[in-house]
Amino acid sequence: MKKIYSIPLVRGLVWLVVGLVIGIAAVAGIRAALGLDATGRYLFTEHAWVFGGFVGTLAFIATHGVMGDWFKWWRGQDTPEHHEDPASWLKYLGPSLDHKVIGIQYTITAIILLVVGGTFALIFRTELSFEGQQFLNPDQYNTLMSLHGMLMIVSILLGIAGLMNYLVPLLIGAADMAFPRLNAFSFWIAVPAAVWLLLSMPLGGVETGWTGYPPLSANPAKIGQQMFFLGVFVAGWSSVLGALNLIATVARMRAKGMTAFRLPIFVWASIATSLIALTATQLIGLSFQMVMFQRLFGMGFFDPAKGGNPVLFQHLFWFYSHPAVYVFILPGLGVVSELLPPLIRKPLFGYKWVAMSSFGIALVGFLVWAHHMFTSGMNEYLRVPFMYSTLLVAVPTGVKFFSWVATIWKGKIPTPMPSAFLFTIGAIVVFLMGGLTGPPNATVSTDLHLHDTYWIVGHFHDTLFGGFVFPFFAALYYWFPKATGRRLDERLGRLHFWLMTPAFLVLSSGMMRIGLLGMRRRIFDYDPALGFENMHVTLTVAAFLIAFSIAIFIYNMIVSVKEGDPAPGNIWNSRSPEWQVPSPMPAHNYETPFEVVGEPYDYGLPGSKYVEFMKK
Amino acid sequence: MTHTPDKKSALNQGVVVFIYLAVLTALEFALALFLPNVVLLGVVALVKAALVAYYYMHIYKLNREDSGEGHDSLAYKIGTNRLGLWLFLLSDSFVFGGLLISRFNLLGMTRPHLNQYLGFGVTAILLISSFFMNRAETSIAHGDKKGFQTGIIITMLLGLGFVVGVVGLEWQLAKIEEVIVNKDVVGGIFYMMTGMHAFHVLTGLIFLFLVWRNGRRGYFTAENHWGVEAAAVYWHFVDVVWIFFYPALYLIGSTP
Amino acid sequence: MRHFVIVGILVVLAAVGAYAGLDASGLMPVAASAQAGSATTAGSIDWMWNLQVIAMSFLFALIVVPLVYALIVFRRKQGDTSDAEHITGNTPLEITWTLIPLVLVLAFAYLGAYSLREVRRADPQAMIVKVHAQQFAWSFEYPDYGGVISDKLYLPAGTQILLQMDSKDVIHSFWVPEFRVKQDVVPGRVTELRITPTLPGEYKVRCAELCGTSHYSMENGVVVTSEAEFIAWAQEQQNALASAQTPEGKGELLVKANGCLGCHSITATALPTAPTWFGLFGSSVTLEDGSTVTADEAFLKESIHDPLAKIVKGFAPIMPAYSNLTDEDIAAIIAYIESLK
Ligand code: HEA
Ligand code: HEA
Ligand code: HEC
Ligand code: CUA
Ligand SMILES: [Cu+2]
Repeated sequence: MKKIYSIPLVRGLVWLVVGLVIGIAAVAGIRAALGLDATGRYLFTEHAWVFGGFVGTLAFIATHGVMGDWFKWWRGQDTPEHHEDPASWLKYLGPSLDHKVIGIQYTITAIILLVVGGTFALIFRTELSFEGQQFLNPDQYNTLMSLHGMLMIVSILLGIAGLMNYLVPLLIGAADMAFPRLNAFSFWIAVPAAVWLLLSMPLGGVETGWTGYPPLSANPAKIGQQMFFLGVFVAGWSSVLGALNLIATVARMRAKGMTAFRLPIFVWASIATSLIALTATQLIGLSFQMVMFQRLFGMGFFDPAKGGNPVLFQHLFWFYSHPAVYVFILPGLGVVSELLPPLIRKPLFGYKWVAMSSFGIALVGFLVWAHHMFTSGMNEYLRVPFMYSTLLVAVPTGVKFFSWVATIWKGKIPTPMPSAFLFTIGAIVVFLMGGLTGPPNATVSTDLHLHDTYWIVGHFHDTLFGGFVFPFFAALYYWFPKATGRRLDERLGRLHFWLMTPAFLVLSSGMMRIGLLGMRRRIFDYDPALGFENMHVTLTVAAFLIAFSIAIFIYNMIVSVKEGDPAPGNIWNSRSPEWQVPSPMPAHNYETPFEVVGEPYDYGLPGSKYVEFMKK
Repeated sequence: MTHTPDKKSALNQGVVVFIYLAVLTALEFALALFLPNVVLLGVVALVKAALVAYYYMHIYKLNREDSGEGHDSLAYKIGTNRLGLWLFLLSDSFVFGGLLISRFNLLGMTRPHLNQYLGFGVTAILLISSFFMNRAETSIAHGDKKGFQTGIIITMLLGLGFVVGVVGLEWQLAKIEEVIVNKDVVGGIFYMMTGMHAFHVLTGLIFLFLVWRNGRRGYFTAENHWGVEAAAVYWHFVDVVWIFFYPALYLIGSTP
Repeated sequence: MRHFVIVGILVVLAAVGAYAGLDASGLMPVAASAQAGSATTAGSIDWMWNLQVIAMSFLFALIVVPLVYALIVFRRKQGDTSDAEHITGNTPLEITWTLIPLVLVLAFAYLGAYSLREVRRADPQAMIVKVHAQQFAWSFEYPDYGGVISDKLYLPAGTQILLQMDSKDVIHSFWVPEFRVKQDVVPGRVTELRITPTLPGEYKVRCAELCGTSHYSMENGVVVTSEAEFIAWAQEQQNALASAQTPEGKGELLVKANGCLGCHSITATALPTAPTWFGLFGSSVTLEDGSTVTADEAFLKESIHDPLAKIVKGFAPIMPAYSNLTDEDIAAIIAYIESLK
């Protein structure tokens, strides 16, 4: 018992519950003392639950151990920069400061949330297969659908944080992130965030979709909405602090000779992503906080009866949530650009253009948010400028595509294709479909028809899969040996790819098809007169095939950690520094520092070198 | 490092900057009385913010070449910390930017009915506190622990005075003027903006308190006083936010 | 060079094939308004959409064909361990494929703006219909016809309609797929939408903004008829309004106007949202706390005025309070409910 309690994660969770209870009790007690209602529909009042969640979050991070060093500083004590982690897998449950451990923690958590959110999708897809009500009621449907969306998005945020944490210090030759303690903090704060998101289910659920538009989200009947907002708010801080850390790392910790245009492309993508996450995230936090306060204190920000403006919320929300979609994909597209050269033994075509295009996407991405609001009733004259700016994003994105094709052209395509390569190609094709279905949405007149239909749902599953899910898998197949010293099973990998890709293409194109014909988003049942039932059955089958393929992948990971083919060396024959040292990566990244002496992707140039390790 | 001014001229610079700030604040107030133009008021606020950012927050230090001792040297580490802190402030300023946008979207050219004397008073208090914070930091940077202690205590007292002024007095007075949290959006915005700002002042006070206590134990030296610098930059940032919030809440537009 | 020629031909073939296939599969529902237009009426939505499909087909082929071609043709030979040719880039090429898409998107944005202007083109003679949205039903008011209220949207073909829309509670969105255009209905303001129906027939207005539990069922009928038929219908409604003297008749109108049927059913099969009214009057109703009450006049009255006072077992407390209804109105509604057997 005591032993289990000594595991930081368990200790933190115990105190999270204690904190929740204390917070609730405090508010309920005060309310009772003031003669106000202390109890409510969900045992206690909304104020009590929110305050409890707040206290619970603090209790978790205070007792988990990630703040240990800070507490010491506050008391005026010095602490060493390097802690020793426990040797066993238990280090993954504790406040490790090693960016590689944190990267793996992020990645595993992301996969867990992907499975939870995906399972929600399977449940509500099963409900949707047939006309009429099967086994969910409309409120349960809305809750599952909303949490599917938000859990998936949080999963992506954690997934890219995992990749960036693990890879960026290795790629730039740093010993660790710039702020290791903050790094651990950023990860661990995501745990209570996930708890609050899931706690929204028993508290009445979430009925607004992931976008949480008021006035619907101000409906006092559902306290779950508050836990949802709280969860996102906390997850947002994880994202902000992680981004801050990453920018500082790249700015200050590069190896000698690592000038801007010798940085690996993935690092460029990571900075572009982090700049967005650092700044824009605050606006989703603020918009959700304002709804929370409207609910708690009756502040009328978005309540027309009090002079508020529901459309203001949408501006604040999309100011983050549009740039956020580029947060999701830029690292993924970075992975594509990073993997192609070593796998096909050819330099990345137009390195500088690809590097700058990430910035182009990020910057223009800040100016386009209102394309989600073409029908919202915002000022009419704003629609045309936002159409222009949105369409402009296609230009830097196109640069990436053309450069990839030119890279592959006349490359040495490996036979048989490794899974990492398959997923890279899959990413290009799927993301292209997602990208090309963007401009019709961006063109106001066609968006008047497309908005809030399954066409949009198809559009964004394509972009999210192509921009994140496929590259994420590619990265895992590629770098898993680096982290573990063992390969993933290639046969299972190919099976995973060949199951998931066709199933996914059916899923997304089917969604678009019925969307055009009149299938609205976020509906629990559809009008039989539309004749969509066959298509919905197909979509559900496709969804289960995707889930099955991901289950194969998870099985592959679990088995290969222990039993995969050993891969101690530079299995991809890459020029990148992390492959010049043995796998799994040593605890202290580079015992001998290296110096950058050449271009990163000069494959096929005899005698050229990217990095050179300094002699002691 | 470029040339380091001696202690006296560094302190004097703080005084001169403070005088500029005071004059600009008075000008702002006068403008609001006679020429209440949003653009003009905005420009004055920007100039004030730039003064604070440059002379009190030393934003130029971000650009400083670090000594060539390598990534493990103390100076380099502090440079990294400084970048981290500024990135945090950049991020945080988006919250306040969002609040300002909400205020103009929802209230337009009207403003809540508030007590002008009190508003001017708390603004002055916060500005003066920045002045003393600057003195505290300058002192420790020159190894003067006593001056540092005095400066930081005065800063904390003034900060406390600000919180009492806003939360303790203004919130009560506003209620009398029918600026009520849940009555309409005017109240909502007023309490949200001042509340978020007061929250930052409070965290700043806690930060200052920790720094003060560690300082008493001799934790900081002329070479290594990163904790003090961080607290100072954060404190000035909170001041900069108020430089924009004050005209937005008290000066711009007309009361209904 | 040979490779480029082959790929060029394949791209054109694939693009044409993709467009032809998509076009033949009938992507859009029938077009029933002037705004929807057709692929050949310049400026209409379907015209714009058709351009989009052409662009999508071509750009998809432009990337995917060379990609797949390269994957097949440039495979590594057995036993070949060499690296590929060292090509790092080509600046004129990069500039080309930056500029061409730039011109393309600017052209599309221009066409989009043109199309938007056409779609919004206002006819000063437009007939006004007021649209009231609430959870989870629409109702339509015809100010030009003595304020007739209907839960179905009747429209004359060939006339431009100006919809003036308001919402009682949350955001809804007016969308008839066959008309293409969509507009959110935001509480606290009136939003406008112009439609010129062209094709007589029956359609549905489907709420396109998630508005709560029964968002999925927020669909009301739309009937487009000839001008003459429409006027006849409107006359009939006006007469009915004048002669709705029986309490049930008045109750039925009130029920339609207040959107009760968005949640309640009047047939034996209930909607998942709310209890059915069929056979309700006089029956015994089980409440959430397990007790039972008889659905008499007092209970029904209380249920409408203060829906949260007694919650029927098995349903969420989502019914809004109707403080706008007078005692007389409520009596009429109760009479109407009583008539449902
Ligand atoms: C990873 C996520 C991601 C990405 C990358 C994108 C990319 C784009 N998105 Fe998407 N989008 C979403 C995720 C994403 N989107 C989500 C989640 C929603 C729904 C949110 C919700 O409501 O819940 C959404 C909704 C959405 C809307 C709102 C629709 C509505 O609700 O009415 C619009 C409208 O403009 C839009 C447009 C675009 C455009 C123009 C791009 C562009 O960036 C695409 C650029 C890429 C290409 C164009 C392809 C490659 C380019 C070339 C081959 C060059 C040549 C091309 C041309 C000349 C055109 N998206
Ligand atoms: C990364 C983001 C992401 C991903 C991966 C997915 C994946 C899927 N999504 Fe998506 N989805 C969103 C993001 C995402 N979604 C968002 C943002 C929305 C909008 C929500 C809103 O409107 O508010 C949405 C909405 C949405 C809808 C529209 C709902 C509506 O409007 O009513 C639908 C409908 O079919 C859907 C379906 C699916 C399906 C079938 C999958 C499948 O791919 C899922 C596949 C299954 C899994 C990933 C689970 C995997 C594994 C197992 C079950 C195995 C378990 C095994 C072990 C533990 C060993 N999603
Ligand atoms: C948003 C959905 C909704 C709308 C709109 C709505 N109701 Fe209801 N109504 C409910 C629900 C849910 C219940 C059951 C729970 C309860 O008692 O509150 C209910 C219960 C009732 C009852 C209680 C008796 C019973 O068992 O059916 C009456 C009577 C009633 N509604 C009348 C009306 C009238 C009249 C209107 C329109 C003026 C109306 N409702 C509009 C959702 C709705
Ligand atoms: Cu009304 Cu959805
Ligand atoms: Cu967007």
